[in-house]
Amino acid sequence: MRLGVFALLAAVWLALSGPYTLYGWLIFAFGVVSVAFVWRLYLALERAAGGGFEFFRASAWLRLPRFLVAFAVKVAAANLHVTKLILSPRIELHPRLRRVPASQKTSFGQVLYANFITLTPGTITLDLRDDELLVYALDAESEADVMDGSMDRDVLRIEGASD
Amino acid sequence: MNGALDIATAVLLIAGGLFCIVGGIGLHRFSEFYQRTHAASVTDTAGAGLMLLGLMLQGGLSMVTLKLVLVLAFLLFSSPAIAHALVKAAHGHGLALELEIEDEPGRDGDAAG
Repeated sequence: MRLGVFALLAAVWLALSGPYTLYGWLIFAFGVVSVAFVWRLYLALERAAGGGFEFFRASAWLRLPRFLVAFAVKVAAANLHVTKLILSPRIELHPRLRRVPASQKTSFGQVLYANFITLTPGTITLDLRDDELLVYALDAESEADVMDGSMDRDVLRIEGASD
Repeated sequence: MNGALDIATAVLLIAGGLFCIVGGIGLHRFSEFYQRTHAASVTDTAGAGLMLLGLMLQGGLSMVTLKLVLVLAFLLFSSPAIAHALVKAAHGHGLALELEIEDEPGRDGDAAG
Protein backbone atom coordinates (compact mmCIF):
# COMPACT_ATOMS: atom_id res chain seq x y z
CA MET A 1 0.00 0.00 0.00
CA ARG A 2 2.88 2.36 0.72
CA LEU A 3 4.23 1.50 -2.72
CA GLY A 4 0.77 2.23 -4.08
CA VAL A 5 1.01 5.78 -2.73
CA PHE A 6 4.44 6.10 -4.33
CA ALA A 7 3.17 4.84 -7.68
CA LEU A 8 0.16 7.17 -7.57
CA LEU A 9 2.27 10.26 -6.86
CA ALA A 10 4.80 9.28 -9.55
CA ALA A 11 2.11 8.61 -12.15
CA VAL A 12 0.41 11.95 -11.53
CA TRP A 13 3.66 13.85 -11.92
CA LEU A 14 4.72 11.90 -15.03
CA ALA A 15 1.34 12.56 -16.63
CA LEU A 16 1.55 16.29 -15.91
CA SER A 17 5.20 16.85 -16.98
CA GLY A 18 7.12 13.86 -18.29
CA PRO A 19 10.71 14.37 -19.52
CA TYR A 20 11.42 14.84 -23.27
CA THR A 21 14.71 16.81 -23.31
CA LEU A 22 17.81 17.27 -21.16
CA TYR A 23 16.00 20.11 -19.46
CA GLY A 24 13.04 17.79 -19.13
CA TRP A 25 15.13 15.22 -17.32
CA LEU A 26 16.36 17.89 -14.92
CA ILE A 27 12.74 18.66 -14.17
CA PHE A 28 12.20 14.89 -13.87
CA ALA A 29 14.92 14.74 -11.21
CA PHE A 30 13.21 17.55 -9.30
CA GLY A 31 10.02 15.54 -9.66
CA VAL A 32 11.61 12.46 -8.17
CA VAL A 33 12.79 14.52 -5.21
CA SER A 34 9.31 16.07 -4.79
CA VAL A 35 7.61 12.68 -4.90
CA ALA A 36 10.06 11.22 -2.39
CA PHE A 37 9.48 14.21 -0.10
CA VAL A 38 5.68 14.01 -0.23
CA TRP A 39 5.81 10.23 0.18
CA ARG A 40 7.94 10.73 3.28
CA LEU A 41 5.29 13.15 4.60
CA TYR A 42 2.64 10.53 3.91
CA LEU A 43 4.55 7.90 5.89
CA ALA A 44 4.80 10.29 8.83
CA LEU A 45 1.07 11.01 8.51
CA GLU A 46 0.27 7.31 8.44
CA ARG A 47 2.33 6.79 11.59
CA ALA A 48 0.59 9.73 13.29
CA ALA A 49 -2.83 8.36 12.31
CA GLY A 50 -1.93 5.00 13.79
CA GLY A 51 -2.50 2.90 10.69
CA GLY A 52 -2.84 2.92 6.91
CA PHE A 53 -5.73 4.47 5.06
CA GLU A 54 -8.29 1.96 3.82
CA PHE A 55 -8.80 4.40 1.00
CA PHE A 56 -6.14 2.82 -1.20
CA ARG A 57 -8.06 -0.43 -1.49
CA ALA A 58 -9.45 -1.12 -4.96
CA SER A 59 -12.91 -1.76 -3.49
CA ALA A 60 -13.03 1.79 -2.10
CA TRP A 61 -12.37 3.20 -5.56
CA LEU A 62 -15.14 1.07 -7.04
CA ARG A 63 -17.55 2.62 -4.56
CA LEU A 64 -16.30 6.13 -5.29
CA PRO A 65 -18.56 7.02 -8.29
CA ARG A 66 -21.76 6.33 -6.37
CA PHE A 67 -20.48 8.38 -3.44
CA LEU A 68 -19.54 11.28 -5.71
CA VAL A 69 -23.02 11.32 -7.25
CA ALA A 70 -24.69 11.32 -3.81
CA PHE A 71 -22.24 14.01 -2.70
CA ALA A 72 -22.88 16.22 -5.75
CA VAL A 73 -26.67 15.92 -5.38
CA LYS A 74 -26.62 16.85 -1.67
CA VAL A 75 -24.20 19.74 -2.13
CA ALA A 76 -26.21 21.08 -5.09
CA ALA A 77 -29.48 20.93 -3.12
CA ALA A 78 -27.87 22.64 -0.12
CA ASN A 79 -26.43 25.35 -2.38
CA LEU A 80 -29.87 26.11 -3.81
CA HIS A 81 -31.35 26.27 -0.31
CA VAL A 82 -28.69 28.65 1.04
CA THR A 83 -28.91 30.74 -2.14
CA LYS A 84 -32.64 31.09 -1.47
CA LEU A 85 -31.88 32.18 2.11
CA ILE A 86 -29.33 34.74 0.94
CA LEU A 87 -31.53 36.26 -1.74
CA SER A 88 -34.80 36.32 0.23
CA PRO A 89 -35.97 39.91 0.90
CA ARG A 90 -35.75 39.34 4.65
CA ILE A 91 -32.92 37.26 6.04
CA GLU A 92 -34.58 34.72 8.29
CA LEU A 93 -32.30 32.23 10.00
CA HIS A 94 -32.92 29.82 12.84
CA PRO A 95 -29.37 28.80 13.77
CA ARG A 96 -28.83 25.73 15.90
CA LEU A 97 -26.00 23.67 17.36
CA ARG A 98 -26.46 19.91 17.36
CA ARG A 99 -24.46 16.88 18.42
CA VAL A 100 -24.40 14.31 15.65
CA PRO A 101 -23.05 10.76 15.99
CA ALA A 102 -20.29 9.84 13.52
CA SER A 103 -20.57 6.08 13.13
CA GLN A 104 -17.46 5.63 10.94
CA LYS A 105 -14.88 3.26 12.39
CA THR A 106 -11.72 4.96 11.16
CA SER A 107 -10.55 8.49 11.88
CA PHE A 108 -10.21 8.95 8.12
CA GLY A 109 -13.90 8.12 7.68
CA GLN A 110 -14.91 10.52 10.44
CA VAL A 111 -12.86 13.33 8.95
CA LEU A 112 -14.43 12.61 5.55
CA TYR A 113 -17.88 12.86 7.16
CA ALA A 114 -17.00 16.09 8.97
CA ASN A 115 -15.65 17.55 5.72
CA PHE A 116 -18.79 16.46 3.86
CA ILE A 117 -20.94 18.34 6.41
CA THR A 118 -18.72 21.43 6.26
CA LEU A 119 -18.71 21.48 2.45
CA THR A 120 -22.51 21.37 2.39
CA PRO A 121 -23.62 25.01 2.66
CA GLY A 122 -25.93 25.54 5.63
CA THR A 123 -24.10 23.14 7.94
CA ILE A 124 -20.59 23.33 9.37
CA THR A 125 -18.65 21.07 11.75
CA LEU A 126 -17.36 22.87 14.82
CA ASP A 127 -15.75 19.97 16.63
CA LEU A 128 -15.15 16.21 16.53
CA ARG A 129 -14.88 14.45 19.85
CA ASP A 130 -15.66 10.94 21.14
CA ASP A 131 -17.28 9.79 17.87
CA GLU A 132 -19.57 12.83 17.93
CA LEU A 133 -19.66 15.87 15.72
CA LEU A 134 -20.71 19.31 16.90
CA VAL A 135 -22.63 20.69 13.94
CA TYR A 136 -23.82 24.26 13.46
CA ALA A 137 -26.75 24.61 11.05
CA LEU A 138 -28.44 27.72 9.60
CA ASP A 139 -32.04 26.50 9.90
CA ALA A 140 -34.29 23.46 10.25
CA GLU A 141 -34.01 22.48 6.59
CA SER A 142 -30.20 22.57 6.58
CA GLU A 143 -30.16 20.68 9.85
CA ALA A 144 -32.45 17.96 8.47
CA ASP A 145 -29.83 17.15 5.78
CA VAL A 146 -27.48 16.01 8.53
CA MET A 147 -29.90 14.72 11.16
CA ASP A 148 -31.56 12.17 8.86
CA GLY A 149 -28.24 10.30 8.81
CA SER A 150 -28.13 9.84 5.03
CA MET A 151 -24.74 11.56 4.72
CA ASP A 152 -23.43 9.39 7.54
CA ARG A 153 -24.49 6.30 5.58
CA ASP A 154 -22.93 7.64 2.36
CA VAL A 155 -19.58 8.00 4.10
CA LEU A 156 -19.95 4.61 5.82
CA ARG A 157 -20.43 3.01 2.42
CA ILE A 158 -17.31 4.60 0.92
CA GLU A 159 -15.35 3.77 4.07
CA GLY A 160 -16.45 0.15 3.74
CA ALA A 161 -14.57 -0.72 6.92
CA SER A 162 -13.94 -4.45 7.36
CA ASP A 163 -16.59 -5.86 5.06
CA MET B 1 -15.26 23.52 -30.79
CA ASN B 2 -18.75 22.31 -31.32
CA GLY B 3 -21.62 24.65 -30.60
CA ALA B 4 -23.53 22.65 -28.00
CA LEU B 5 -20.37 22.18 -25.93
CA ASP B 6 -19.59 25.90 -26.05
CA ILE B 7 -23.12 26.71 -24.93
CA ALA B 8 -22.89 24.18 -22.07
CA THR B 9 -19.58 25.72 -21.01
CA ALA B 10 -21.05 29.21 -21.14
CA VAL B 11 -24.05 28.16 -19.04
CA LEU B 12 -21.81 26.49 -16.43
CA LEU B 13 -19.41 29.44 -16.26
CA ILE B 14 -22.24 31.95 -15.88
CA ALA B 15 -24.03 29.81 -13.30
CA GLY B 16 -20.76 29.40 -11.36
CA GLY B 17 -20.18 33.14 -11.52
CA LEU B 18 -23.71 33.82 -10.26
CA PHE B 19 -23.16 31.50 -7.28
CA CYS B 20 -19.91 33.35 -6.52
CA ILE B 21 -21.84 36.63 -6.50
CA VAL B 22 -24.56 35.09 -4.31
CA GLY B 23 -21.86 33.93 -1.88
CA GLY B 24 -20.49 37.48 -1.79
CA ILE B 25 -23.96 38.96 -1.21
CA GLY B 26 -24.56 36.45 1.59
CA LEU B 27 -21.25 37.37 3.19
CA HIS B 28 -22.58 40.94 3.51
CA ARG B 29 -26.25 40.23 4.30
CA PHE B 30 -25.72 37.63 7.02
CA SER B 31 -25.23 39.28 10.37
CA GLU B 32 -22.76 37.13 12.25
CA PHE B 33 -19.40 35.38 11.79
CA TYR B 34 -20.68 31.78 11.84
CA GLN B 35 -23.52 32.53 9.43
CA ARG B 36 -21.13 34.22 7.04
CA THR B 37 -19.00 31.08 6.74
CA HIS B 38 -22.03 29.35 5.21
CA ALA B 39 -22.34 32.03 2.54
CA ALA B 40 -18.64 31.61 1.76
CA SER B 41 -19.12 27.87 1.26
CA VAL B 42 -21.58 28.60 -1.57
CA THR B 43 -18.71 30.27 -3.43
CA ASP B 44 -16.37 27.36 -2.62
CA THR B 45 -18.67 24.58 -3.80
CA ALA B 46 -21.24 25.70 -6.37
CA GLY B 47 -19.22 28.66 -7.64
CA ALA B 48 -15.84 27.02 -8.10
CA GLY B 49 -17.32 23.59 -8.93
CA LEU B 50 -19.53 24.77 -11.81
CA MET B 51 -16.76 26.96 -13.27
CA LEU B 52 -14.27 24.07 -13.18
CA LEU B 53 -16.86 21.75 -14.79
CA GLY B 54 -17.40 24.29 -17.55
CA LEU B 55 -13.65 24.53 -18.19
CA MET B 56 -13.37 20.71 -18.20
CA LEU B 57 -15.87 20.58 -21.07
CA GLN B 58 -13.52 22.82 -23.07
CA GLY B 59 -10.49 20.71 -22.13
CA GLY B 60 -12.03 17.44 -23.32
CA LEU B 61 -10.05 14.29 -22.52
CA SER B 62 -6.68 15.98 -22.04
CA MET B 63 -3.99 16.93 -19.54
CA VAL B 64 -5.78 20.23 -19.00
CA THR B 65 -8.87 18.37 -17.79
CA LEU B 66 -6.78 16.12 -15.53
CA LYS B 67 -5.30 19.24 -13.94
CA LEU B 68 -8.76 20.77 -13.53
CA VAL B 69 -10.01 17.55 -11.86
CA LEU B 70 -7.05 17.72 -9.46
CA VAL B 71 -7.75 21.39 -8.73
CA LEU B 72 -11.34 20.45 -7.87
CA ALA B 73 -10.22 17.50 -5.71
CA PHE B 74 -7.75 19.63 -3.73
CA LEU B 75 -10.38 22.35 -3.35
CA LEU B 76 -12.84 19.80 -1.92
CA PHE B 77 -10.32 18.84 0.76
CA SER B 78 -8.80 22.23 1.54
CA SER B 79 -11.90 24.43 1.69
CA PRO B 80 -13.71 22.45 4.45
CA ALA B 81 -10.42 22.18 6.37
CA ILE B 82 -10.06 25.97 6.21
CA ALA B 83 -13.72 26.60 7.10
CA HIS B 84 -13.46 24.19 10.02
CA ALA B 85 -10.21 25.78 11.27
CA LEU B 86 -11.88 29.22 11.17
CA VAL B 87 -15.03 28.28 13.08
CA LYS B 88 -13.21 26.05 15.56
CA ALA B 89 -10.76 28.85 16.35
CA ALA B 90 -13.62 31.33 16.78
CA HIS B 91 -15.63 28.91 18.91
CA GLY B 92 -12.61 27.88 20.98
CA HIS B 93 -11.82 31.51 21.77
CA GLY B 94 -15.37 32.09 22.94
CA LEU B 95 -16.97 34.03 20.08
CA ALA B 96 -20.62 33.49 21.00
CA LEU B 97 -23.03 31.75 18.64
CA GLU B 98 -26.51 33.20 18.21
CA LEU B 99 -28.60 30.08 18.65
CA GLU B 100 -32.26 29.14 18.77
CA ILE B 101 -31.71 25.46 19.53
CA GLU B 102 -28.74 23.87 21.21
CA ASP B 103 -27.91 20.33 22.33
CA GLU B 104 -26.50 20.26 25.87
CA PRO B 105 -25.33 23.85 26.38
CA GLY B 106 -22.80 22.83 29.06
CA ARG B 107 -20.53 21.41 26.41
CA ASP B 108 -20.37 24.75 24.61
CA GLY B 109 -19.14 26.45 27.76
CA ASP B 110 -16.45 23.87 28.37
CA ALA B 111 -15.18 24.25 24.81
CA ALA B 112 -14.95 28.04 25.24
CA GLY B 113 -13.20 27.80 28.60
